Amino acid sequence: MSPIVAAIVLGLWAYIGFYDALAPNFIMAARPLIAGTVAGLIVGNVQMGMLVGGTLELMALGVYTYGGATVPDYQSGAILGTYFGNLTNFETGLALAIPAALLLTQVDILNRFLNFVFVHRADAYAEAGDAKGFERMMVLFSHVIWGLSRGLPVFLAIAFGEGLVQAVSNFFNTYPWINKGIATVGGMLPALGFAMLLKIMPVGKYPAFLILGFVLFAYLKIPLLGIAIAAVAVALLYQGLKYRTEEEVA
Amino acid sequence: MATTHAVETAAAGDTAKVNRKDLWQSFWRLVFASQLGWNYERMQSVGYCYSILPILKKTHPDPEDFKEAFITNLNFFNTNPVVGFPFILGAHAALEEAGASLDTTEGLKVGLMGPLAGVGDTLVWALYNSIIFSIGAGMALQGNILGPLLVVLLVFFPYNLVRYWQFFGAYRQGVNILTSYGAGAIARLTELATIVGLIVVGGFAPSIINVKTPLTLSTSAVVNGEPVTTTVAVQQQLDAILPYMLPILTLGLAYWLLKRGWSPVRVILVLVILGFLTGALGIFGG
Repeated sequence: MSPIVAAIVLGLWAYIGFYDALAPNFIMAARPLIAGTVAGLIVGNVQMGMLVGGTLELMALGVYTYGGATVPDYQSGAILGTYFGNLTNFETGLALAIPAALLLTQVDILNRFLNFVFVHRADAYAEAGDAKGFERMMVLFSHVIWGLSRGLPVFLAIAFGEGLVQAVSNFFNTYPWINKGIATVGGMLPALGFAMLLKIMPVGKYPAFLILGFVLFAYLKIPLLGIAIAAVAVALLYQGLKYRTEEEVA
Repeated sequence: MATTHAVETAAAGDTAKVNRKDLWQSFWRLVFASQLGWNYERMQSVGYCYSILPILKKTHPDPEDFKEAFITNLNFFNTNPVVGFPFILGAHAALEEAGASLDTTEGLKVGLMGPLAGVGDTLVWALYNSIIFSIGAGMALQGNILGPLLVVLLVFFPYNLVRYWQFFGAYRQGVNILTSYGAGAIARLTELATIVGLIVVGGFAPSIINVKTPLTLSTSAVVNGEPVTTTVAVQQQLDAILPYMLPILTLGLAYWLLKRGWSPVRVILVLVILGFLTGALGIFGG
């Protein structure tokens, strides 16, 4: 696949994938695991897609746009990492994917800001009582800025980035400490997702449950699914006891 | 003004009947457009307005009336798109059909969007997705294509069923919605989600945040006239004190910064600088 064809197809995949994240959520296509795997199918190296996507997915676990916060663009990172990883190797692909995901957060902020045009157009349609015009805008245009915020960087990076990526890759190989630094960043980044979660939860009110989860994993070595099932059981028990006591008292 | 509007609609009788086609149209718009045009100013407002519009067209036949409802439904709106949005939309459709005033329907939206966002974000994103994606990613890393495929199936069917149940369930419950799913039930559901979420975060965070130290401490001593060097891995010492100490400290730092009002983007910057420097210098490793 020539770079320009790959750039168009993967750029489109980024656009469609983000549209899926905005509304249908049919396959969570903006998650790095899905974005990377499909990018792998497109470039004919599904193993590379799963490796890059799976690695970024574990970094991004629990990272969602709670309340519309901007988070790293792991979707574009996974697509670009898969494409360039296929041209070079997995390490280089991943070492490019992480900085790409971080740099593109700036594009996301710009995009979320620019989308105000749709609210103001909508206000104008509403003042005029023009439902048809509003509906036309929603169908044809309301996804364009969002989609381009993902599709365009992916397209540009692939269409024009190969030389640059080769240079970067050589640079990384000359200075292995850069890869070590990026790998450590990759290990630390998941802390953000969990911290964002804890921030929206009343940790101070129920510290015991946080500790319980930690003990189940760190000391009892229970796998994640087991912890989740135990969590549901504990929550049901807690509520059963709590509300029974309340009813008896009443 | 909104109150008189409600009285007028009630007086006009049952002219504003919403049929199945309108409901399905509203449901499909929710599925295909819920967060289109999302922006900092009013977040999901245009997506919500677009989704409720098929209902508003029926319940507000008078053009001036319709215009007022159209404008009002462009107000700020934001909740979880999978758990929350469909429920509010369904309940709103029922209230519209019953001839409720704009004050009532806005009250419903504003009253439910916050609590349901909390429940939905915790249950859908933090909990359910973290579980299925960690399993799927684990399989993918072993080269098994069934991993991503499993995730896709576990997203597509449950998400659509859950949206369908909420929307049509809330519509059928009708005006009773506020009493039967009142504050008590939502508070209880929120508490359940919180407990499950905290246990899961407590377990998932140390397993997924990956910070270790490759440092070793060497001590040289002279034993029986022979120089002996003992090397101790710092990581082993840390594990003996508290397993996963470094991941927990990293999480603690990120949480503390967010609590201080830092934006996620700034916290990322701190983690990137800290991780890159310590990694490059060989103090920490992934």
